[in-house]
Amino acid sequence: MSTPLVEAKEIHKNFDVGGHFLQREKPQVKAINDVSVSIHEGESFCLVGESGCGKSTLARTFMGLLKPSAGEIHYRGKRIDNLGHKDRMPYFQKMQMIFQNPYASLNPRRTIQKTLEEPLRFHFPDLTDKEIGEKVEEVMTSVGNDPSWGKRYPHEFSGGQRQRISIARALMVDPDFVVADEPISALDVSIQAQVLNVMMDAQEKRKLTYLFITHDLSVVQHFGSRVGVMYLGTLCELADTKTLYSNPRHPYTQVLLGAIPTLSCEEMTHTKLTGEVPSAMNLPTGCVFHNRCPHANDRCKREVPLLRKLDDGAAVACHALEEGRIS
Amino acid sequence: MALLEVKNLHVEFPTRRGVLKALRDVNFTLEKGERLGIVGESGAGKSLAAFAIINLLSKPGRISEGEIIFEGQDLSKMDDTQLRSVRGNRISMIFQDPMMTLNPVLTIGTQMIETLQAHRNISKEEARLIAIDRLNEVRIPSAEERLESYPHELSGGMRQRVVIAIALLTEPAMIIADEPTTALDVTIQAEIMSLMLDLCKMHNVGLILITHDLAVVSQVTQKIMVMYAGRVAEQGPTRDVIQNPRHPYTRGLMSALPQQNQAGKRLYQIPGSMPTLDAMPEGCPFNPRCEYVGERCYTTVPELEDLGGHMARCFKARELKESGSLS
Amino acid sequence: MLKLKTFLDSDFFYQFKSDRVAIISFSVIFLFFAAALFAPLLSPMDPHDPSQIDIMDSEIPPVWSSSDYAEPDERFLLGTDAQGRDMLSAILYGLRISIIIGLFAVAVQMGLGIAIGLISGYVGGRVDAFFMRLADIQLSLSTMMIAIIVLAIFQASFGAELYEELAIFMLVMVIGIAEWPQYARTIRASVLAEKNKEYVDAARVIGLSSPTIMVRHILPNTLSPLLVISTVQVANAIISEAALSFLGLGMPVTMPSLGSLISAGFEFIFSGSWWITTIPSIVLITLILTINLLGDWLRDVLNPKLYKG
Repeated sequence: MSTPLVEAKEIHKNFDVGGHFLQREKPQVKAINDVSVSIHEGESFCLVGESGCGKSTLARTFMGLLKPSAGEIHYRGKRIDNLGHKDRMPYFQKMQMIFQNPYASLNPRRTIQKTLEEPLRFHFPDLTDKEIGEKVEEVMTSVGNDPSWGKRYPHEFSGGQRQRISIARALMVDPDFVVADEPISALDVSIQAQVLNVMMDAQEKRKLTYLFITHDLSVVQHFGSRVGVMYLGTLCELADTKTLYSNPRHPYTQVLLGAIPTLSCEEMTHTKLTGEVPSAMNLPTGCVFHNRCPHANDRCKREVPLLRKLDDGAAVACHALEEGRIS
Repeated sequence: MALLEVKNLHVEFPTRRGVLKALRDVNFTLEKGERLGIVGESGAGKSLAAFAIINLLSKPGRISEGEIIFEGQDLSKMDDTQLRSVRGNRISMIFQDPMMTLNPVLTIGTQMIETLQAHRNISKEEARLIAIDRLNEVRIPSAEERLESYPHELSGGMRQRVVIAIALLTEPAMIIADEPTTALDVTIQAEIMSLMLDLCKMHNVGLILITHDLAVVSQVTQKIMVMYAGRVAEQGPTRDVIQNPRHPYTRGLMSALPQQNQAGKRLYQIPGSMPTLDAMPEGCPFNPRCEYVGERCYTTVPELEDLGGHMARCFKARELKESGSLS
Repeated sequence: MLKLKTFLDSDFFYQFKSDRVAIISFSVIFLFFAAALFAPLLSPMDPHDPSQIDIMDSEIPPVWSSSDYAEPDERFLLGTDAQGRDMLSAILYGLRISIIIGLFAVAVQMGLGIAIGLISGYVGGRVDAFFMRLADIQLSLSTMMIAIIVLAIFQASFGAELYEELAIFMLVMVIGIAEWPQYARTIRASVLAEKNKEYVDAARVIGLSSPTIMVRHILPNTLSPLLVISTVQVANAIISEAALSFLGLGMPVTMPSLGSLISAGFEFIFSGSWWITTIPSIVLITLILTINLLGDWLRDVLNPKLYKG
């Protein structure tokens, strides 16, 4: 198999919480526990999970916005998480990010033109003003924006328009890899489709690879080629989209899929899931899902299940599945 | 007699650039124990409709026309004292953010007991028993101990359950829920929605559910009202509207859902975005985005066309019906 | 032109137009500043030039009043002081000095405060702890106390002559340095709020260096609250200067500010020459009051919804 475009190897990420500066051992939140993911060129890799599962933290670790507590990030086989700011420069251009909140991701004091030009001028200082103008126009048009918006400020635009401007900014420097952190969850329903289409068009035209973070499984089914399901900082299932939807293995994935509301007009029924998500400050022993899992037994309480590859390429971390207690 | 009858409701906001008509010509009835869903995007006027019903508009908004007959009395003509005996007593509210209802410095128990004693002439001990009863109903484990908890000690899902318990305390005839699960995770959302559905049926409480999520509405309510730019675009029995939408906007909303599209292909999208109140187009407010637009649409606002209990504000409502349902 | 038009069309200007207090305050402040700026053109004489002062003209009352010792004189609209200096000219020049000290002292405060607040908020950790403890210590000592000690020591060790020459500079520096924590704290709070916004992450993802992000992205978004504190701080600086001058540690009598005029006239108040101290006091009070009123109005307008997004 070829080298993946980007790869996270055994990532751990802990955050200090509270405590004061004299305290030696500060309380910690374990946001990510031993997660490995590799994303290949041309893929739309989706990370799914509920709030607090560590999906955004992982995305930020990929981008270098956070340093992993342990583990490595590789780009085309080269380790990049330990590079200094200067050495990382070429990778800033290759990897870009789209953010969740279109109302916060554009600097309110800058015109659209300035916001869009900045990455270009920074990474390609040799370009003339004319070339920059042309590039801005080309990218703006390609995401369905009117290039004449340049002189205006972000507050003059609607959420959907801002998100398209945000996408344009990410595309300005011709990246290979784009991380999209819940790019549509703050948008209205009729706008979500527009933004997803823009992202899919851009992928086709520019040969992009996406890491798409979302909590919405119905979007994943449409958009993703492979899916990783996260729960409390661990990866519990990793599979091709088709495999995952036709045959969800992990009990948590099953619950998640069952919880998607549909336009069925059938009355809602109870999910089988009980209990609350435990706090990440104080993780359960063994399988993190055991206190909510209908199939949990003693072993699940003691032993952390490892991600195991199955015949059809899916990988699942579940003792019950391994022992054949569930299929 | 219907539980709630809203007739010809208009809401406006006087501003220095003229009067903005935020809500126009809203009519509906809610029978005892009936569940109505008000659907729309942000700015469509759905939350405004809810606040207008309980006469709780924020200044300078005001009801400029219309009647809101609740249990035989017109809420729009009541003074504050009378309204207070209705709000929180006969009508309860559930908001998106549970902390709008919960006071962070009081225990759950104190808040529940005080609410009860404000509306009923009962002893503290009786109130306590009712509170425990309600907490059990919303399936909060060890309800008695929970009475001593402060809101910040509970998870988001638990808080929303407590809010539902408080909403049910005074045995209201109607609950208005404004995006009650939008801030929650998918699995918690499914749980809370099915819980609300059960409780409304059990207590024979009328429910007005305000949300942007058509799928949730389709699984919970019996009637739907789709709002667009301050007007009702379509209303009728849930099953009819979902399976046979007669307004191009409702159609577009449903077609844009990823579930309704073939995986990996471009999604159906409604172009553009909803006009703001100060920039309403002439004629039908949906005309710039509509694929069925005709000449009349640019000059006249269509009336709600009645197709046997199912109404749509579109000149082509009848023709659209014939083109068959979507999906 | 386009910018002017957008400004005239904005909510800010509309609210200004519809608030009488704001309009009056602004007009008064504008008049005072204009008078200060054009003092050399407006004043009948130069009060700093001893050759233009005639001791024979001393303690002449304002034109509308009378006194036991001297008749009003048309040359001196607001009367004269004990040395025969024209009060109108002295007040105009004094206003000029007070405003200069107020503005420059605030500029020093702002410069220090912004730099420290920005670094403190963005870098965080120990740097932040160090600067903020420093600010706490600074705030626990009152501005006046520091100013009095520093200026008294300076006057004693370098002599009154040198002090007279450097008085403006010294006052600006002392008042400026004593009040930086106000700005540093405000800026730091805004930086803490701004630095977690996604546009800052977007700038980091582009690869911009920390100083660039701080100055070009975060700083412009933290400036609005500064406008509000600045009005109050200018008023405070002018008062501090007046108080110091009143105590004899501020501007010398040869180059009086409003404070030194009040101080100089104070001893004549019981001899019936009330105008020497009263008129500069009224000017000072009006100036401070209007600045504070405008500041309050600005805070009301700018604070609730700085940005709609």
